[in-house]
Amino acid sequence: MSDSPVSTHDPKGDVAPAEASPQEQKKMEQAYAQMKRKMSMEEISKKIKHKVMVLSGKGGVGKSTVSTGLALSLAQQGLSVGILDIDITGPNVPKMMGLDGRRLHVESGRIHPAQGHLGVKVISMAFLLDNEDTPVVWRGPIKLGAIQQFIGDVEWGNLDYLIIDFPPGTSDEPLTVAQSLPDIDGMVIVTTPQEVALLDSRKSITFSESLKVPVLGVVENMSGYTISGKAKPGSEIEIAAPAGKTLKTTADDSGAFSVTLDIFKEGGGKLTAEEFGVPFLGALPFDPGFVRGGDDGVHRIVSEPEGPSAIAFAAVVSALQEQIVEDSGSGLEII
Amino acid sequence: MTDELPNMKRFERRELDVVVTYEDGSEFQITYDDLRHACPCAKCSPLRNVDEASKNLRRQVEALPKEKPKVRTVGNYALGFEWTQGCSSGIYRFERIWDLANRRDPDNGKPYVHGAW
Repeated sequence: MSDSPVSTHDPKGDVAPAEASPQEQKKMEQAYAQMKRKMSMEEISKKIKHKVMVLSGKGGVGKSTVSTGLALSLAQQGLSVGILDIDITGPNVPKMMGLDGRRLHVESGRIHPAQGHLGVKVISMAFLLDNEDTPVVWRGPIKLGAIQQFIGDVEWGNLDYLIIDFPPGTSDEPLTVAQSLPDIDGMVIVTTPQEVALLDSRKSITFSESLKVPVLGVVENMSGYTISGKAKPGSEIEIAAPAGKTLKTTADDSGAFSVTLDIFKEGGGKLTAEEFGVPFLGALPFDPGFVRGGDDGVHRIVSEPEGPSAIAFAAVVSALQEQIVEDSGSGLEII
Repeated sequence: MTDELPNMKRFERRELDVVVTYEDGSEFQITYDDLRHACPCAKCSPLRNVDEASKNLRRQVEALPKEKPKVRTVGNYALGFEWTQGCSSGIYRFERIWDLANRRDPDNGKPYVHGAW
């Protein structure tokens, strides 16, 4: 042994390591990429203050409408917001955010989100499809890889809120996200007042328990349709409502009147929330403007920032923010 | 009876019970048996509807090993408890814990009917 404190390496005496087979090399590369992505996901997670999952048990309840509405309503408060559209087989957030046909920018192996209304950053499978009519037919493991890539390889920057929009049901996607992205604040369950949707929402609430992700609350969408009009001041108006009901109202001094029709029953979301002991975040009106806005790429909150739907969303967002524990914590000491 | 609910400040787990301290300085003890018997999940709740089933649930809870649960906050509205045995599904709203602390029926005498609204 030399007296020098610096050790030297003599390769002559070493046995050369056996070359890794191509399969082993591929496995090592995959493991390395996986580890790198995991670290990247943790890094990304630190830059995003709050992560909120939006789920529903049933399709067609307006989950993407609620996701985009929440994101825009939060952005209206001046917060920095992103939407991750995990609905791989039916991605429609870009269309609602006026980003139809847009392509994602990739630089140094990192995906940069597109920016929609009010600066909301959007990542969606729709950006990767050559044709919007092309179906995405992927089995579970491929989907899982794509989701992890959407989380780990995206350059979100610093965000106050990341809203994650899921396909309906309780399948792979929420499970993958809950396991990949640390510190998710919780999930919002979207429902409509009818019985079938409520039954499925209950499944989502129970699902949250198995994911160990808290339910931040239930939002009832398409809650009631308000019709308004003009009549002779002070006159009584009768309107035929669903289920054979008759609604009565009186025109005010200017002749204006309005009544709300409960198209899909009423109050079911609130009762489901009460039944499961989770918060009810509020009801959103049935607003045909969402359909038009969704098709035209101009979200209702953008086209009518002071309108009834924007006001309803602001109330839901405020209830949601109350449920989210700020970094300072609730001050509760558990010992 | 939850309108006067103060903020919970401290939740101290002891061998057989918890000591809950609120910001107004009030302090209460809740035994683990009481806590577990009042589990609000959809599986345990209906068992409290019928007197005999409720007593049975109580006996089952009392037969479980005495252990300190893992406690987690759920949003900022509730606590969840994880036990090594028995049910860990219930999300206990702060109002529910307040009712238990004050020896009130956390179900307010209302039977649990799954799927009813």
